[in-house]
Amino acid sequence: MSRATPTSSLLEHLGARTLHVVDVAQRLVGTLVFALRSSSAPGLGAKAVVRELSVRQIFFTSAQALPMIGAVATFVGATLTAQTELLGGPFQRETAGKVLVAVVLRELAPLVTAIIVAGRSGTAIATELGMMRVNSEILGLASLGIDPPRFLIWPRLVATTISVPILTIYFSAVAIVSGNVTAFLIDSHGLEEWRVGAMLALSPLDLPLMGIKTLGLGLLVGWLCCYYGLDVGSSPTEVPQKASRAVVQSLFACIAYNALITVLYYWLFGATVT
Amino acid sequence: MIQIEEAQQEPGVTLDRVHFGFGTTDLLSGVSWELNQGESAAILGASGSGKSTFLLVAAGLIAPVQGSVLLGAHPLRRLSPSERVRRGLRLGFVFQDGGLFANMDAFSNVSLPLYYHQDVLGLSDEAIKERTREVLDLAQVEERHFQTLPAHLSFGDRKRLGIARALSIRPNYFFFDDPDIGLDHRTANVAHQILSQLKADPTVTLLIATNRTKLIVRLNIPGFELHDGRLTTAQTQSHAPSGWSLPPRLIIP
Repeated sequence: MSRATPTSSLLEHLGARTLHVVDVAQRLVGTLVFALRSSSAPGLGAKAVVRELSVRQIFFTSAQALPMIGAVATFVGATLTAQTELLGGPFQRETAGKVLVAVVLRELAPLVTAIIVAGRSGTAIATELGMMRVNSEILGLASLGIDPPRFLIWPRLVATTISVPILTIYFSAVAIVSGNVTAFLIDSHGLEEWRVGAMLALSPLDLPLMGIKTLGLGLLVGWLCCYYGLDVGSSPTEVPQKASRAVVQSLFACIAYNALITVLYYWLFGATVT
Repeated sequence: MIQIEEAQQEPGVTLDRVHFGFGTTDLLSGVSWELNQGESAAILGASGSGKSTFLLVAAGLIAPVQGSVLLGAHPLRRLSPSERVRRGLRLGFVFQDGGLFANMDAFSNVSLPLYYHQDVLGLSDEAIKERTREVLDLAQVEERHFQTLPAHLSFGDRKRLGIARALSIRPNYFFFDDPDIGLDHRTANVAHQILSQLKADPTVTLLIATNRTKLIVRLNIPGFELHDGRLTTAQTQSHAPSGWSLPPRLIIP
């Protein structure tokens, strides 16, 4: 009888782990590829149905999130202005304006918006798809000739990818107005300096940066949450587990992606804030 | 390979050396089986023998681990669900546990596939509504339930809604998982009448999973027993008992 040595069992473990990672990566990529491919499949009836579903998903993901995004942006804008005011005092009003624009527009607005979308819509996506798996609804769709990637994944990907940029613009606007109001309340005489600082911090490159960041973040949230939702097996107990994993992984992916784009931006273009 | 009729007929459902299992349990071990187009058959077996899995594999809803499945002459592995419909393979599948869309009302459950394939089926919006009502009436889903979510329907109503949905796109391949399980008299009657008409329709290939030989004797269709992952011809009475007939009240439109 042969006995496993520590080296062979370690190799076995490593091999199994590698196979698992490759399998997950394949299915993850498959989720996105099938959704993209199915979206261009023929069928006018299917197109109309999916368009209507996408609009409904966009409404749920963006319009219904406006109050929460508005409240968070108000607090972020106000606290950031108050903190820079406390740090710099009356002689640093211009810097306070610059800090608000740079931090909110480039970092906080896309990231916080993506986090709210992941927490709000991402959980809903993963839970809904997971329940559909458990209740054989996905088999039901396929039996009726309805492509699950087109009917389930594509509208959700579209919704998160479109909603994060829209909500980021809204977040930025509310946070800047809130910062403006806070600066006025602290000292109405320094408001002009604050505004000059805010304008100086803006760069034409902010627009493509925000576009790349928000579109990528939205796609990541939709993609990962759809993947984990559809990864549920046949047990209802898996649904909350996968939903929580979907949100945690989305948050991690969003933070990592945001950092990567920021580093790339400063590496390529240097500091644009004068 | 077990064949039901002469080989000259068009193939309906073909399984070729199909293997399928969950974990270490092998439910289908190299099953090869063929059902000609327009014919009917039943898969028999004890609970847990893999009848439902056999039906799902035969309908192409789950892919076998090994082997191939064909509907008509089309290998299902490379066909997406909508492509199947575009190639004229219209499936009707009644699931054991409903498989209904939980967030859609009864009417939308039935009309969804019609809207999705509106161009392929050549239906106007009005025709879709008409067809939806037609199949809901046929399956005896009462009008007061049309706007009701499946969760608020009784088991019998859900089963009848499942039948209506499966009939919506005028299927030429019909799969019915456990038509007799836990049904009230009315629902069982609807299920039997519909099965009887589908069996009589030469354009429909019908496959049923059941553990009741009584049903297949009534329908007078051949049965195949699934045991230990293998399929064998079941010993059942070949004709319906004398004096038994289905009431011809419901006609599938």
